[in-house]
Amino acid sequence: MQKLQLTLAIVKPHAVKNPIALSYIRQAVKSKFVVIKTKRILLDEDTAAKFYREHVGKFFYNRLVTFMASGCIDLHILGHMRAIQMWRKMLGPTSVYKAQFQDPYCLRGLFGISDTRNVAHGSDSPQSAEKEIKFFFPDFSMYQWYNDDEPCYRKGPIIFNSHLFQHVRRL
Amino acid sequence: MYAAKFLIQRRSPVFLLNRVFITTKKKVHDPSEEELLPIFQYPISKSTDRRVYVWGFAETGALGIHLPRGKKGKKSYKNNFKLVWHPMRSSFAERFDITNIACGYGFTVASIKTSEQHKVFGTGINTDSQIGYHSPRRNHPLELLLSYAPIYIPYKSLECEIKAVAAGRAHTIILTDKEGVYTLGNNAYGQCGRKVNVNEEYKGSMVTHNIQKLGKENIVDVCCGQDHSLFITESGKVYACGWGADGQTGLGNYDNRSTPTAVIGDITTEKIVKVASTGDCVLALNNKGELFGWGNSEYGQIPMATTQHQVNTPYALLNFTRGLGRIVDIAAGGSFCMIVNDQGDVFVWGFGLLGLGPNVQHTATPKQIPPTLFGRNEFNPECVVKKISCGISHLAAVTNNGDLYMWGRNRQGCLGLGNTNDQHFPLKVAIGAHVLKVACSVDHSVAVCKPFV
Repeated sequence: MQKLQLTLAIVKPHAVKNPIALSYIRQAVKSKFVVIKTKRILLDEDTAAKFYREHVGKFFYNRLVTFMASGCIDLHILGHMRAIQMWRKMLGPTSVYKAQFQDPYCLRGLFGISDTRNVAHGSDSPQSAEKEIKFFFPDFSMYQWYNDDEPCYRKGPIIFNSHLFQHVRRL
Repeated sequence: MYAAKFLIQRRSPVFLLNRVFITTKKKVHDPSEEELLPIFQYPISKSTDRRVYVWGFAETGALGIHLPRGKKGKKSYKNNFKLVWHPMRSSFAERFDITNIACGYGFTVASIKTSEQHKVFGTGINTDSQIGYHSPRRNHPLELLLSYAPIYIPYKSLECEIKAVAAGRAHTIILTDKEGVYTLGNNAYGQCGRKVNVNEEYKGSMVTHNIQKLGKENIVDVCCGQDHSLFITESGKVYACGWGADGQTGLGNYDNRSTPTAVIGDITTEKIVKVASTGDCVLALNNKGELFGWGNSEYGQIPMATTQHQVNTPYALLNFTRGLGRIVDIAAGGSFCMIVNDQGDVFVWGFGLLGLGPNVQHTATPKQIPPTLFGRNEFNPECVVKKISCGISHLAAVTNNGDLYMWGRNRQGCLGLGNTNDQHFPLKVAIGAHVLKVACSVDHSVAVCKPFV
């Protein structure tokens, strides 16, 4: 039996501020994935710079960091057999100006405004997903989760708690 | 038998009486009376009357059109009122004389002619208090307004007039004649021209900021990009504040600026009459019809000698636009730019569906859109484009005949053509009035029109 794969989804500030876009994204997320954890935080520039340190030196680094620090962001740990690939496919191409013509019904094509304001972030590989989840959820142990909770989330019974915006074990 | 006889007896005198009454009516024809009769006339509008048409995405409430949900089965369009496919007349504009209107990301701001307190109204997304504080229930401020509501601004005197309004992604700028500029909404980058507070809560905020003068001069025009603001003063100087990560502020660096500062570079000695910005790229036009640009240039919007993705100092595009004539109007979208010259010819460059053909393409040099597409032909040689406007990825042009042409990416039906297919050449939008001005945003558009009669 294949285990659930975890990925980190970050909904960026401009989409969090648009209630229509946010409800559409949330509906898409909860219907396609198992939501393990959800958190809304306000990044400061230092943390954002640390998170995007792999992009240091690229021309868009400064604007990415200042944009991510400009408002609240939603963090979701999503579980699915092919979570990383599926979440990136739902997002569409990175560049919004190209995505809106290549794939007009992906999330970036629908709600993106510019190449920086591109709706959401998705991890690109299992290694970076693990790193990013650890960065934002330091007290979430992936090893422990795979040992204890993974079979429950895979087989059920689970129920969606819309208040916490995550799936929980049905009692 | 008796009853029948009675009926016959009764009927005959009544019948007779009626006939007598009709025949005794005498018709008198008097020719002089005809002159006195009122002549029926359809109401003729005044020259100051304005109509506002809106179309595009309606779920955010940015159109100010709110159809209450009907019963199931009855008028099913009311239950699924998501888009306005064709231009629809805004009923708000029928009740008030609208002077200025601006579209932001999911919200619309309109100023009206009045000497009362409420001069500016807004509708749409309000998560950053960009259209003021509205709280029908105490401590539960509204995040979304479906119809127009007045924005409270602490004017010093009620006589002041609204000269212009501008709206960005989540902030609004209101220009008055005597009291300078009022800003409200999101200030995460300093786009409101006041100090950035890192943990400020924008939802349900009542903060407005007043900028009286910039460099001892009055402000005459304002413009909003997505997250930056631009001001033009009397002498034609440009001041900028807000997000500068792409160089949008034109201050020679990539930092955010929280106080409006005079833009440096090639435009310092010029008298600027118009600036245009929708995304992160800025174009400016001086009184001689010359073009300047700065900001984002990832798709070659600001072509410099050396390729740069981000231009942080205003750059004169004189060589680039040489031979195109005197430029009269400019528009800058997310990944492209558009200009129109005094001959009414429209030129575009950049990336996107630019109206040059069915392919999404990149154009490094200004390419003319054939004027026949804007209605100029042998029978109509006078038809020229007067005004242009851009959303993030759609384009609009208004001709001197009052026709509106739109093309580009048709996100949520913002082209008003009755479908959501991308339009790759300019197409006339069906509006039943003479279009004067069009304002575009990310997913909705607004046109200010004059009635035909």
